[in-house]
Amino acid sequence: MSILGAVNFPPIGEVLNWKPFFLGGSALAFNKVTLTAVLATAITFILFYTAGKKKALVPTGVQNVVEAGVDFITNSIVLDIMGPDGLVWLPYLCGLFFFILINNLFEVIPVFQMPATARMGVTLPLAITVWVTFIVVGIKKQGFASYFKHSVVPSGVPGALLILLVPLEILSTFFVRPFALAIRLFGNMLAGHLLLITFAALSEAMFAKSISLVLLPLPFAMLTVLTGYEIFVSALQAFIFTILTAVYIGESMAGSH
Amino acid sequence: MVSILLAASQSSNPILPASGEIIWSVLSFFVLMAILAKVAFPPISKMLKDRSEKIRGDIEAAERARNEAELDRAKAEAQLAEARHESTRLIDEARKTAEVIKADLVKRAEGEVAEMRQRAEEALEAERQRLAFELRGDIADLALELAEKILQSQLDRSSFDPLIASFLAESEASSK
Repeated sequence: MSILGAVNFPPIGEVLNWKPFFLGGSALAFNKVTLTAVLATAITFILFYTAGKKKALVPTGVQNVVEAGVDFITNSIVLDIMGPDGLVWLPYLCGLFFFILINNLFEVIPVFQMPATARMGVTLPLAITVWVTFIVVGIKKQGFASYFKHSVVPSGVPGALLILLVPLEILSTFFVRPFALAIRLFGNMLAGHLLLITFAALSEAMFAKSISLVLLPLPFAMLTVLTGYEIFVSALQAFIFTILTAVYIGESMAGSH
Repeated sequence: MVSILLAASQSSNPILPASGEIIWSVLSFFVLMAILAKVAFPPISKMLKDRSEKIRGDIEAAERARNEAELDRAKAEAQLAEARHESTRLIDEARKTAEVIKADLVKRAEGEVAEMRQRAEEALEAERQRLAFELRGDIADLALELAEKILQSQLDRSSFDPLIASFLAESEASSK
C-alpha cells in the first residue's frame, strides 16, 4: 500500500494534452504531438529522397530499408488485395504506411516518448482522408448510383432481408469504417503509451523507495519488454491501417459484394 | 466552424481531437503525399522497375546463353562421335593397308631370298666345277711328276692320258 501510495502516476490529461510551444490559444497551437507529426513527415520524405538518390544496384542502408518497405507494400498489400490495377495507389499507400509507422515509433524514442497517433487529432483526419478517397474512387470507377447500390445492397440476398441489411451496410461502410480505422490506431497506440507510462512510473516509485529496490527489476524488465512489444505494435498498426485502406479502395475499384 | 475548432483546441477531454493537432497533421500528411508523389517516389519506382527489367533481362540472357551452350555441347558431342568414328575407320583402313603391304613385302622378300639362294647355288656350282677342272689338271701334273720320279725315267704323256682320265673319273666318282 505504501509503495502504491508513492507511485506518482500523472493525470491522464497531463500525458496526452501537451502544452503548446507556440501559437497557444489559437486553432494552430503547435505542441509535442504536432511536432511529432511534422517530424514524421520530414523523416519519411528524407528516407524516400535519400533512397531515390542512391540508386545503387545492390541496396544498402536507407535505400535497403525503403526498398524493403516499398517491396513489402507492393507484394503483400497492393498486388495481393488490389491486383495490378492497384499499383497506381502505391505511392499513397507507401506514404501512409511510413507516416503512421514513424509517428508510432516516436512512442519509444527517448525525449519524445509520445506517438502522435495516440491522439484522435491525428488518426481521425487520416481515417477521413481514406474514407473520402474510397468513396471518390468508387463514384469515379462505377458511377454514383452504381457505386452506392453495390455498396449498400448485398447481391443474392432475399428482398425481405434487405430492409435489415441495407441500413446496416450504410452504417458499416459510410459511418463505421472511418471511425473504426481512427479508433483502432488511436486506441492501440494510446494503450501502449499508457502501459509504458505505468511501468515507468512504477519503476521510478520503487527506485525512490530504498526498501522496494529489490522489486525494481520486475517493473523495469516489464518496461523493457513492453518497449520491444510496442515497436512491434507500431509496425503492426501501420500495416493494419494500410491494408484496410487498400481493401476499401480495392473494393471501390472493383465493385464490392 | 472556427468556434468549434477553438472549442476543440481548449478541450480538456484527452480523447477529443485538438484543433491544432488536426490542422498540423492534415497539413503534414498532404504535404508528404504531394512531395512523395511529385519528388521522392518516382525515382524509387523507376529504380525498382529498372532493376526488375535488368534482372528479367539478365535471366533471359542467361537462359539464351544456356540454350546456346546446350546446342554447342550437342554439336561438339556429335563432332566428337563423328571424329571417333572416322578415327576408327582410318585405323582399320591403315591396319588393312599395312597387312597388305606386309604380305606383299614378305612375298617379295621370300622371292628375293629364293632368287639370291638360287644365284648363290649356281655361283657355288660354277666355282666348284672350275675348281674341279683346275684340280684335275694339277692332279694330273702331280701324278705324272710322281710317276716320273717313281719310274726314274722320262715317259710319254700322251700314252698315259687315257689311264689318267680313267683314274680321275674313278677318283671323282669315289669323292661324290
